[in-house]
Amino acid sequence: MTGSFLPILLIDVLGSFAMMILALLCLHKARILREMDTDNAVFLYLIWISTGFAVFAVSRSFGHILKQFLVLTGNPDAWHAISPYSGGVNTVSFMLVGLITLFFNQTWKINEKILSGRQRLEEAHIKLKDLNQTLEHQVIERTERLAGSEYKARRIFEHSLDTILVMDEKFNISEINQAGVTLTGYERKDMLEKKMGIKDFLEKPLEWDRIRSLLEVHEHIVNEEIDFLRPDHSLVRVLITGGVDYGAFGCGKSFHFIIKDINDKKQMEQQIAQADKLAALGELSAGVAHEINNPLGIILGYTQLLLKEKSGFEEDLKTIEKHVKNCRDVVSDLLAFSRKGSTEMRRVEVTKVIEDVIKFLSNHTDFRNVDIKLNLFHAEPLIVKGNEQELAQVIINLMINASHAVEKKGRIEITTEKSDDGRIFITVKDNGTGIRKKHFSRIFDPFFTTKPVGQGTGLGLSVGYGIIRRHGGDITARNRKEKGAAFTISLPAVPPDDSE
Amino acid sequence: MNPLLMTILKFLPLPAAWGFLLLLPADAQAIQLHLTSEGIITHQMGHIFFLVSMVALIFTLSGKGLDQQKGWRLIRYSAFFFILWNLDAFFGHFLDNQIQVVKLENISFSQMRMVVHENSQVLYWVYYALKLDHLLSVPAMLLFFLGLSRLVKEQQAMVVKKESH
Repeated sequence: MTGSFLPILLIDVLGSFAMMILALLCLHKARILREMDTDNAVFLYLIWISTGFAVFAVSRSFGHILKQFLVLTGNPDAWHAISPYSGGVNTVSFMLVGLITLFFNQTWKINEKILSGRQRLEEAHIKLKDLNQTLEHQVIERTERLAGSEYKARRIFEHSLDTILVMDEKFNISEINQAGVTLTGYERKDMLEKKMGIKDFLEKPLEWDRIRSLLEVHEHIVNEEIDFLRPDHSLVRVLITGGVDYGAFGCGKSFHFIIKDINDKKQMEQQIAQADKLAALGELSAGVAHEINNPLGIILGYTQLLLKEKSGFEEDLKTIEKHVKNCRDVVSDLLAFSRKGSTEMRRVEVTKVIEDVIKFLSNHTDFRNVDIKLNLFHAEPLIVKGNEQELAQVIINLMINASHAVEKKGRIEITTEKSDDGRIFITVKDNGTGIRKKHFSRIFDPFFTTKPVGQGTGLGLSVGYGIIRRHGGDITARNRKEKGAAFTISLPAVPPDDSE
Repeated sequence: MNPLLMTILKFLPLPAAWGFLLLLPADAQAIQLHLTSEGIITHQMGHIFFLVSMVALIFTLSGKGLDQQKGWRLIRYSAFFFILWNLDAFFGHFLDNQIQVVKLENISFSQMRMVVHENSQVLYWVYYALKLDHLLSVPAMLLFFLGLSRLVKEQQAMVVKKESH
């Protein structure tokens, strides 16, 4: 039977070309896939199978085209010679494709394992990343907290009103805050450069041995009271508390101290004790004065009676009269000190009292060579409620003491001030010898005097103290930094328009 | 026992067997003669093997649920067309090479003569259709190419998605 060969020929030749092209394109696509994920075993498998298809398609198509060509060009014998080889290659190639195909399941399983491993690896990576981030956050948070804590500690250290001091194991200062600089009076730089320690601040350096031994035995000291000697030779009473730190985080052994300035507190305590003592003395003096005053009056009366008649003992009687009068003055002063006298309290202008006193004293021989300087408050009248004569007497006493301190040829300054809380301060300063430390606790005691015997009764300051206390005020004494002493009277002010 | 002796005794059977074969040869059957029909049988077996592997691929892809993805689905269709092509080729070879009931002769580019057993018209057209096997193999290859192209696209989309995350 004959028939049209053209459809078979066209489909065979065109199909062969199409097969070759498509197989090569498949191989190309498989390579793209493989390049996108080199770890993917399935994509590797697709390369294998595409290669198999390419070999199959090319060999088969080439065979078909060659066959058609040879047969149609009248060379069927040539084709018969080649056909076994072409058929053989063709058989091997599609068997190869089949063989590769059968490995799909295994390849898929391997790929799943790889993917699962990769997934676990990615999860572990994410977890590790999260942990790392958490760790980083924690580090940042803790660093911030540490910085905050360090800042707080630093602020406490820097702004503490008490001295905070750190010494190294050789007892040299390694750190000291501003309060410590103020308290000790030394520059921080000097303290660090000169390797100073607490020992260098002590008035009595031997006390350091005691403190050090306490530290060595107990590893701490609590409220040890000692005196610091400042570079200006002033003394500061301090309370030291400290302990040993054996160090951590690479820090060596150190000693930490908190030093409290109790100078003011101590002075206040002394003033209170003084006030109590003077109050007791006042009571005693009042009793004694009262008991002596009457016999003195009788003695003086009888002496004066005897003096009216000639007895030949006039000189002796006058001596008795003179000393009895002295005694009466002393008793009178004692009564004044003990507040037992009667005084009338009125509005008194302090500035006027001071000016009157200066005017009065300027003619006194003791003040002829003394430079008196007034530095008075004139912004408003300084009015107090009190007795003008008594206040004048107090100022005169202070001025006389000052003139003795400057040995009648120095400088005395009177200043007045008014504080915001309504107190008036009158300060008498001199540039004399000052008050010796041991005398501070006794200067307001009755009969205490540093003057030679016969030159002072020792009642001036005590009487003045009594008067000022009766006026609701206070009187304090101190040595000036420069030279000399200063006495400050503090009195409650009365408003200038208060008519009472 | 001496360890060296133990080792010698352990590996003794192997050289002994080689020695036996070399020293006492029997009638050797190493080279077998092959008949002329062996080529076509092997070729047909190859087609069956290819067909079976494609069937296996279809079941494997379905079993793994890969036919849900368009790329693998197209590859599965490709496998199906390869099965059809294998059947086509198998029966074509069966008719012309194996039982030789059909013989095709080229007369010219446009004409052919087909010698068909008992001039069967049915056999003529069946064989004619079977000769157009590229109508099955080309779609099979095209579907495989389309499947791979789709897989490339899916993979690219996945990479973009990963990178955007």
